[in-house]
Order: sequence, then C-alpha cells, then structure tokens
Amino acid sequence: MKPLWLVAFVLASIGPVDTGAPSLAAATESPKAIPPAARRKVAFTEDIKPILENSCIKCHAHGQKKGAFQIDSRELFLKGGDSGPAASAGHSGESLVIKLVAGLDADKIMPAKGPRLTPVQVGLLRAWIDQGLPWKEGLKLSRGAHAALAPRKVTLPAAQGGSSNPIDRLLRPYYAKQGIHPPALVEDRVFARRAWLDVTGLLPTPEQLEAFLADRHRDKRARLARQLLDQNQRYAEHWLTFWNDALRNDYRGTGYIDGGRKQISPWLFSALATNMPFDRFVARLVNPDEHSEGFAKGIVWRGVVNASQTPQIQAAQNISQVFMGINLKCASCHDSFISDWKLADAYGLASVYADAPLELVRCDKPTGQMSQRKFLYPQLGQVLDSTNRAERLQSLAQAITRPENGRLTRTIVNRLWARLLGRGIVEPVDEMDNPPWNADLLDWLARDLAAHRYDLKHTLELILTSRAYQLPAVGMDEQGQDRFVFRGPTVRRLTAEEYLDALSSLTGLWQKLPANTEMDLSAGSASARPPAPPARWVWSSPDAAKAAPPQKVWFRKAFTLPEAPGQALAVVTADNRFTLHVNGHEAGSSDKWEHPKVLDIRAHLVKGENVIAVAAENDAASKEDASPNPAGLLVLARLRGAAGAGAAPAVWDLGSDATWLWSTNKADGWQEAGFRAEGWQPAAELGASGLAPWNLAAQVAAAWASAAQFGTIRASLANNDPLMAALGRPNREQVLTARATVATTLQALELTNGATLADLLKRGAERLRADQPGAAADLVNRLYLHALGRRPSATELALAQETVHEPVAAGGVEDLLWAMSMLPEFQLIY
Amino acid sequence: MSLSKHSLTRRDFLGRASAATLGALAAGYPRQLLAGADAEAKPKATADTLIVLWMGGGMAHTETFDPKHYTPFDKGIESKAVLSTFPAIDTVVDNIKFSQGLERLARVMDRGTLIRTYTAGDLGFILHSRHQYQWHTGYPPPQTVAAPHLGAVVARTLGPLNPVVPPFINIGQRFDVGEGEELKAFTTAGFLGSEFGPFNIPYPDQAADTVRPPAGMGPDRFQDRNKFYRQLLEQSPIGQHGSDYQRQSLLRSLDNAHRLLSSPAAKAFDLALEPLESVKKYLPEGVDPGVTFKAAQTRDGSYERQTLGRFGLGCLLARRLAEVGARYIEVTTEYIPFLNWDTHENGHTRLVDMKKQIDGPVAQLVLDLEERGLLDRTLIVLASEFSRDLITEGKPDKTVKDQVEVPDKIQELKHYGMHRHFTDAGCVLLFGGGVKKGYLHGRTADERPVKTLEKRVVIEDLHASIYHALGIPAKLSYEIERRPFYVTRDGLGQPIHELFA
Repeated sequence: MKPLWLVAFVLASIGPVDTGAPSLAAATESPKAIPPAARRKVAFTEDIKPILENSCIKCHAHGQKKGAFQIDSRELFLKGGDSGPAASAGHSGESLVIKLVAGLDADKIMPAKGPRLTPVQVGLLRAWIDQGLPWKEGLKLSRGAHAALAPRKVTLPAAQGGSSNPIDRLLRPYYAKQGIHPPALVEDRVFARRAWLDVTGLLPTPEQLEAFLADRHRDKRARLARQLLDQNQRYAEHWLTFWNDALRNDYRGTGYIDGGRKQISPWLFSALATNMPFDRFVARLVNPDEHSEGFAKGIVWRGVVNASQTPQIQAAQNISQVFMGINLKCASCHDSFISDWKLADAYGLASVYADAPLELVRCDKPTGQMSQRKFLYPQLGQVLDSTNRAERLQSLAQAITRPENGRLTRTIVNRLWARLLGRGIVEPVDEMDNPPWNADLLDWLARDLAAHRYDLKHTLELILTSRAYQLPAVGMDEQGQDRFVFRGPTVRRLTAEEYLDALSSLTGLWQKLPANTEMDLSAGSASARPPAPPARWVWSSPDAAKAAPPQKVWFRKAFTLPEAPGQALAVVTADNRFTLHVNGHEAGSSDKWEHPKVLDIRAHLVKGENVIAVAAENDAASKEDASPNPAGLLVLARLRGAAGAGAAPAVWDLGSDATWLWSTNKADGWQEAGFRAEGWQPAAELGASGLAPWNLAAQVAAAWASAAQFGTIRASLANNDPLMAALGRPNREQVLTARATVATTLQALELTNGATLADLLKRGAERLRADQPGAAADLVNRLYLHALGRRPSATELALAQETVHEPVAAGGVEDLLWAMSMLPEFQLIY
Repeated sequence: MSLSKHSLTRRDFLGRASAATLGALAAGYPRQLLAGADAEAKPKATADTLIVLWMGGGMAHTETFDPKHYTPFDKGIESKAVLSTFPAIDTVVDNIKFSQGLERLARVMDRGTLIRTYTAGDLGFILHSRHQYQWHTGYPPPQTVAAPHLGAVVARTLGPLNPVVPPFINIGQRFDVGEGEELKAFTTAGFLGSEFGPFNIPYPDQAADTVRPPAGMGPDRFQDRNKFYRQLLEQSPIGQHGSDYQRQSLLRSLDNAHRLLSSPAAKAFDLALEPLESVKKYLPEGVDPGVTFKAAQTRDGSYERQTLGRFGLGCLLARRLAEVGARYIEVTTEYIPFLNWDTHENGHTRLVDMKKQIDGPVAQLVLDLEERGLLDRTLIVLASEFSRDLITEGKPDKTVKDQVEVPDKIQELKHYGMHRHFTDAGCVLLFGGGVKKGYLHGRTADERPVKTLEKRVVIEDLHASIYHALGIPAKLSYEIERRPFYVTRDGLGQPIHELFA
C-alpha cells in the first residue's frame, strides 16, 4: 500500500488539479465552493484507502460508528448513517460526505478531530465517487496509516540561485506552494551558537566565536560545520546523550539488582567517536557481541514480570521503536487497535531472541499458540528459524539493515532532523507511519544516507549547511498545531547536559571523572591518545601470569617529589584484588581485575618523601581448590606539579616495575613513607598491560584516557544528579527519543534554590574570580560573549558591574552567573 | 476547604491556571480522555486533600493492626507457633484490637476505617521496590510507558488546591539509599510530565531549606538577585520581541518558583515556627524537638532507635501543609533495604521502635486535623507494600523463594519477629475524607497461614476507592502513544462503597 503522501506527489506531477494545501490563514476559513474532482482515474488502494485510514477510521470503522456511519465496506459507506446516505455513485457534488469534508458548513466539518482534508484529497474522493466508488472486493481498511517500506527515489529539483544544497532545492517548491518567502538567514553569531551546540553540545568560547566572526571565507559556515563534525570526541560526548536516551543506556537503576541490566557505554562511545556507519551500528545492536548486548538484553527484573515485558518482548518493542519508528507496545499484549500489528508479529520478532518458540500470551492469558520467528517485514528476508542464536540474530540484523529497508533510514534521518530543527519531518518521531510534511525531503535524505555508506555525519553536514537550518527560529506556537508548516527551526531548549556543560565552560569547572572510566575518550583520535607511563604487570614471581599461589603480597614504591602535586591520577588493577594506600591513607580498592580502576590520589601526596603501597591478593579458585593460578598487579600513575605562572607544570610518571618492592610479611607501618623495607625484594616484571591471560591493553588505555582528562569531563559522562534530573535527563527506564522542553515549576525550584546548582555556581564564581583577575567589566564582557554570543549593552554592562562589584566579589559573580543562566536567551536555542 | 482560605488573589490563580493550560496545549502533554458512555459517572468528592502515610519495607499485620495469638519470647519456642510477638490491646471500637505499642492510635480508631485484607500482587521473588511501584502507580513494573505515581495523577487531575503550593509533596524518602533508583522509577509523574512530579522533602527536619534561598544566601540578596535577573531580562533582546511559547513557559515557571519561595505558604514548611508544645506531641517521648537525625544504617536496631522522631516531624509537616492547601502529601517512615519495617532480623525489638515512630504522630495528625475542621475533607491513608510473617514467604498457595533462614526453634531474640514477606493480607488504615468511623473491613485467619478470609482488597479497588473520595472516576484515563492509560489498571478498579459513610 502506498502512503498518503504519495497521493499528493503523484498529483503534483500529473498537472494542474489544484493549488495544493492552502496557506495557514485560509485553512481556518470555510471554502466557498467544493474543490473540483481530480481529472483522472483513481485507484482505491493507492488514492482513497490512505485518506480513509488517516482521517476517518478512528470514528467510523473497526467497530466505531459515530453517527451510525461505518465505512468498513463499500455497502456500508454508501448506506451512510443518521444523516442519510453518504454518497451517491456518480454524483460527488451532491454527496453528503463531500460537503462535510469540504467544510462548507463551518459547524459540520469532517473529520471532526485532527487535520482537515486538503483540497487535493477532497478532489480525489470526488473523483472516486464520480467513478462509481470502486472498492476491491473484500479489501479491508487498515487500522492506521502505513508508510511504505521501500526507499523512494526523488528527483532533485534544479538548483536556482542561492543554495545548491539538496534540502533547499527540495524545499523551494514547498515554500512556493505554502506561499512562504523565507526570510534572511540568521547572523553569524546565531549560526555559530546553534552549530556548536548541535554538533558538540558546547557553547563556542569567545575566542572561537571571534575567530569565526572574523573569518572572511565565503563558505565559512560550511567550513565550521565540517570542523565541528571532525571533533570526534566532542561530537561523541554530545550525541552520547541522544543515544543513551534512545537505547536506555547509562542508568544505574531498576533491574540492576541481581545483574539485570548491562551497560554498553564503552562500545557506544567508541561507535560514536569513530562515526560507525549506521547500518553497522544497528547490526551490532540487533546482533550484539558482549560489548553491545545491553540494548537487546533489556531489563531483567527480579521476580515475575508481565508477559508483555519479558526481555525478549522488550527487545522486539525497542528495536521496532528505535530503528523502524513502529510502536509494537500494543501488539505485545493483543492485536493492536491502532495499527495492523498483531500479537503474532510482536512474538515473532521477540522469539528471534528466545531459544525456543514462545507461547503467545494475550492480555495475560496464555493462548496455547506458539510463535513463529519472523521480522515485521518478511519481504526483507527470511529470519532463520535456527536453533543457533548467532545465526538467527545475524539474519535478523541483515534483514533490518538491507538497503530495501527504507524505514530504517527514514527513521534515523527524521530523528536527526528533529534534533537539529526542533521538530521532525514526521511527528511524533516514533510513529513513522504518520504522513511527513514533506515526503520528498524525507525520502531524499533517507536514500542519500544509504548512498553515503550510512554516514550520519554526512546527513548532519547536509542539514547544517542548508539554508533551512539557518533560518530564524520560529516559536512553537507560531507553527500551527493541526497542520504544521515548516518556516524555520523551532525554538529549542538546552538539554540538561547542554545546560550543565554551558555552565562548566563559563566557569572552567567540569566533572572530575566519567561515571564509567571504561569509555575510551580518545577513541575518535587514537593519534591524540595520551602516552601512558611505561608500566608492567608485576608480582612476587616471574611466572605469576601463569600461576602463583593464592596469597597476599604487599608492594610499595617510595619516591621523592620536589613539590606537592596539583594533580595525581592512577590506574590500578590486580588479580584478584587490591587496596592502594598513599602515605598511609587508603586511596581506593577493587576486586574486579577486568575493570581497571581510576583513582584520584592527590590528596595525601606531599613535597619530599612519598610512598604508594598496595596490598594485593591472589584468591584461591574456591575453598576446596587452593592450587596456583594467575596473579598480577598493574599500576600507572601520573603526577603533575601545581600549575605555575606561564610555565607548564612538571610531570612525574610512575608505573609498576622492578623498582617496586614486595614482601609477603606485612610489617607495621609498611604503607607509610619512611618505613624501612628491609628484606623486601624487587618485584618480578611479568609483561605489558596487554599480557595474557588478562588482555587489558584496551581497558587500561581507556582508563588512562579518562585519567588524562581528569577535571574536564562533560555532563553526559557523569551520573545523573538532582539538577539534571529536574532539567529533564530521564531515568532511562523506557526508550526516550524526544525530551520535554516545557519548563516546569519543580524545575524552576531546583534552579532557584537547589543545592546542586547553588554549589556549582559558588565554586564556579570563585574559580572565575581566581582565573580571570582583572576589572569587573572585562569579566562581564567575556561572560556575555561566551554565554550569549554577544557583548553586553551599555545598560547591561552597568547593571552587571554593579552586581559583580569592583573589585570583583565572588558572591556578585555567583549572582551574575545565576541571572544570566536563567535568561531565555541562554536556555533557549534561537 | 475553600480557596479563599489561602489568601491568594484571583490573579495568582489565573496566572497559574493559564500556565498549565498553555503547557497542556503546546507541549504535547497527554490528553485526558473523557470516560465513555458506560463509564462510572464522576463521583462527588468527599475529600480535597490526600495524605498517604507510607510504611515502607513491609508492615506485619499481625504485629500492628491485626494481632493474633501472642507467644512471648522464650528460648527454644517453636517458630511456627509464633503468630504475634506482642499482646493485643483494646481500641475504642469494640470489635477492633490492635497490637501493643499502638495505644494512642487505639484511642482514635473511632474516627476511621481499618482494612485488614489488603492483598498485594503476585510478582514472584519478592523485591520491595517492585511492590511499592505497584502500590503507588497501580501497575506492576516494568511498564512500557513511564507510569505516573498516585500523587501525580491527583496533581494532574485535580490541580493544586492552593496555586502556590506544589500539588504533590513527598516527605521523608531519600534516593541515595539502597534501591534508590528503583524508588525513583515510580516517584515520578511519568508520562504525565514533570509539572506534576513530586516535590521531594527527603529530610522532614530540614524541610524549611527546600523553600528557602540557597544555603548562605540571605533573603535580601535573594530578592536582589531576582530583581537583577528581571533587569537583565528586560534588556535581553530576546525578551523584547515576540512571545514564543518556550520563553513564556520558562518565565512563568521561574515566577511560580519565586512566588512559592516568597509566599506566606512557604512558612508552612518551617517547623521552627510550630509551638514547641505542639511539636512534642508529634515526637515519641524523649526525642529532642530540635534534633537533626543522623544514624549509621546498621541492622541491629540502633538505626530505628536513633531516628525515632523522623516520621513524626513528617506528620507534623503534613498537617501544616494540609492547612495551607497542599493537594497530595505522602509521608514515609522511609524505605531503606533491611531497615525500618524491613525486618529480616530483630523483628520484635525493632518493631517496638517502629510503633513508637508512628503511634503518637499519626494519632495526633488525626486529632489536629479534626480540631481544625479539616479532617472531613482530608483523606488519610496509612499503608504498606505488603505484610510480613515468620514462616510464609509470598502467599500460602503461591509461596516464593525464601529470603530469610528461619530456625525451627527460636534460641535468640534476633530470630523473634516477622522476617519473611507475606502478601496475602495486610492492613490499611483510613481516616477522614468521608470514610466510615469505627468500621472494620475484612477478616483474616486466626491461625497460620494468617491469610485473607473475607472481603479481599486489591490495589485496583483500593485506588478506585481513594480516587472515588477525591471525585476521580476509576476509569479516567490519559492518552499516551495513542492509547488510554487508566488511573486504575486498565480501568478495572471498583470503589469499595462499604468504606464510605
């Protein structure tokens, strides 16, 4: 079946039937006359059925009979309802249904709810009635709109003056049809703020902004887009938020008891940082390895869960929603009332993830019917009904990512469009059967993505460089609710993470460490990977990587520092466990050797003699089995001197090696500096971080990259906190593909007196004052430029100076930061 | 209670109301679906305010409001012989006995209704937070959409009673304790939108801080900061043209927040303004009224002893908030795994303190609201996610995996108590808001298993009854993802009319 938008497209290409959709103003008035009938032969399935399914069936089919009118068959349609026969074959002009949908009487317009029919649609219905209401025998109306599965080739209109960007070429006829004369593009500073936020989630610094404004290249906006997209780490840190929401990743909560959830953060971050092609990305989530399995695995709760929420059904729902724009939730419990998806479809997909066919459970009642493994669209290829899970999932991933699956690409380009322009080409973005406001645009972008090896950055670049993206922002209320017309990007709100990062970039105060230090922050630029100190696995015996007796071994490394360090991080792991001390103070411990631990060890380091001491233990395999097994300790540490004026701080590296000493006798004071390690022996070096059986080279490198970026970590990498939660960072219990942008009172209370923000502003103000000594005016100017992308007016400067005081008072800066960050100009993206 | 009592201006009310309307229209908030023709007509409200007193962790019915045969502690007693570890006491209602330690509540039982047959869902291997989720949303977790909390449904459906007071206030629960994220999963407005979410006051003894300027900021600076913000706003070029919806909603939300912080209603949050004599009535004997509760979270009973007055202050706060027109207030004894009512050991000794925590404050809350003429229009519901038993885990016919080892013979006091999770009966106390006075609903067995025998009450019907009192039909639904989400599961709840006078 062809979707509704095809109708308009076909007609537009046929000739002068009608002028198309009326302008917004006209839409609210009653037309004086019925639109003319289409002058061609109509096809019921292609032309009429979609109109009925989109606009009529909610009240007049599948058991609904408002006004005693049902349209499930030709006979019922002709019969009409309480107001008499709906149509008279051959006489559309006199048919009641046409008068109603044409809206001749403003008090009796059909459909009673939802968007009105366009004149083109009315014309099609007229032609259908005039041609005798052909209705293929036995053909049933669907329960909702259906978008086509296959991609559609759209011919690009010729470029005319202005932009050659395909998006603009596609929109030109749209604007003409809507009677829209696009206004001038936004100025450079507005574009810069948008582009920086949309690609990297960060505000441009005053220096970056000034450089861009001063750039004389004609194509400087395109250059900026490319430069930003090339910042792999910043891009990944920003888009991680979007994907964490969609894949419900990075959440500490529900289901974690008993190990019922699994994070995919390290895999996801690397996939984004390396811009993994989207088809591969999807395949890796659908057919996962151990690193990406968290998404399809879902949430496994303790106890019994409803049949429509088993992990396999969750997988079916989430794959359909996120990648196909299909809501299978209703069909997970019973045949859907709002779409044609059946219980058997949901179970068919779910059972690809089950080792045996599943019994269909309808509304909590077992049916006795067993599922048959299949994907929603069998035409994309058979999903193997194999007992081999790997084979099944591989065939499913292949089906979903086949180029013939136009829904996959339409769904993702629509999400990207919605993210950057505030509203999708189809809305809601998870209901991809809904008609788009511009089918050519959607289909073109979708095919273009596939044609460019599923490179999401390619699509982003197209959008960023389009004139459409650079139009002035439009308020949500100016767009029309029922019949959306694109006039420019919608005003958006900073996400919780963007808001926090913006404050961080203003104050220089970022998060200290990522919540998950196994994400390799340097994944997108391996050449920029921070060199790690040479460090070796060590133990008390040289063949410990193969076997060492279960026992405790104490290690220590004494060293002298010419000054107390300003920063000191260590990456530590030990098979099986360790506790690390710095000058007698415990600084961290772990019993999970697979996950190297990042420790901030600065607190107790001093000028002069220091010691890092580690109690490491090799466990027995079990109570009964005390045989030797692999044992090792690995420590990497980097200490930096306090930042001096101008000069780079000194750096001292420490890695576990043969200069470390060990003993199996724990003597008093062993972990203190000044302890005389008599009888302690040099450690045996086992090998580098990648040494088997641990094979931790990648994990150690990732942990090291986190440690190297201590204190500069973005909000998306940190755990949720009350402030971010109030600003809409979700708990990720459900898939979330669009965050609410409405400001709420509870949010405002958190912003007004919440401890998280108050503390951040207090520390931030002190930091700003320390980092930017000078006159109040300089500080105010800089903050305005950074926060709002402009200089303050004379009045603003005077007001702000009064609050900040001269000399600059921390409390004043705090209040200035607060007031600026509450401004719509700051919190919204215009 | 009439709005005029809250000394608010019509302008305030309109300002707030139009914000909500604006939000509902433009932000895609879920639509309320009108009940169908066959749906129950909108009931006439008998209550304007709902106070839920939450006994998180599983309150044993046989140790509180449904005492059974008492077996005193003695070394070597048989575990299966122990039904109650406290003797029964009389209440002012002839046919109702309570467990020892609830003497003050016993004296106000003539003001309320006692349900003894609340039956929790069958969710398999017990996890408190899942049952709490079900109690508070009416749906078992997980759900495909974010289910709203009872308080959020009330806030969304009825709106604030006093426009400056948040309509859903949640007192006493911290979220940085065990299962904190699971608690957050239902302590939310879910798909209804965060406008209707909980205003959390985790520390009842520090409630005033939640409506005060940030720590270290005096009222003058707070006002100056706001004034300065308004000046900057006036100068901001974005502030000068047009009126887009997002900007309006942002400005209005800040207005609302500021209005609450500077309103007379904010004083209700400040327990220091309550006369000392009256504070003492909400505290167990010997608890210092000025105390800030801090205690190590250990399972030996010391935690409960050191936090004795925490819940009482929450009740006092609830009374003060009810007086200024809060719509939904929940006060919890606080769920922390293995603490408070969640007794996996030392059940008897810890319950001595748990009863001290609730007995006086709840009775006093009832009396105070009555004295102020508010009880008739305020429904108080005291409930727990399930009950406990010494032997049966789950239900007699649906036992689930045991979580606690129970010796055949009790040698040590730590084994004396209800340490397993029992879901086939449980007590709910109701006061005010149109419920019967001195009424007992349901009967449980007098021998183990001490299960429901007559008039079983399930969450759908309990919620339907609560909604009924508030004038909300059980079949009311909100549209999410084009389908109706009912305020009672699938619209199945039936109000229990016997509960109402």
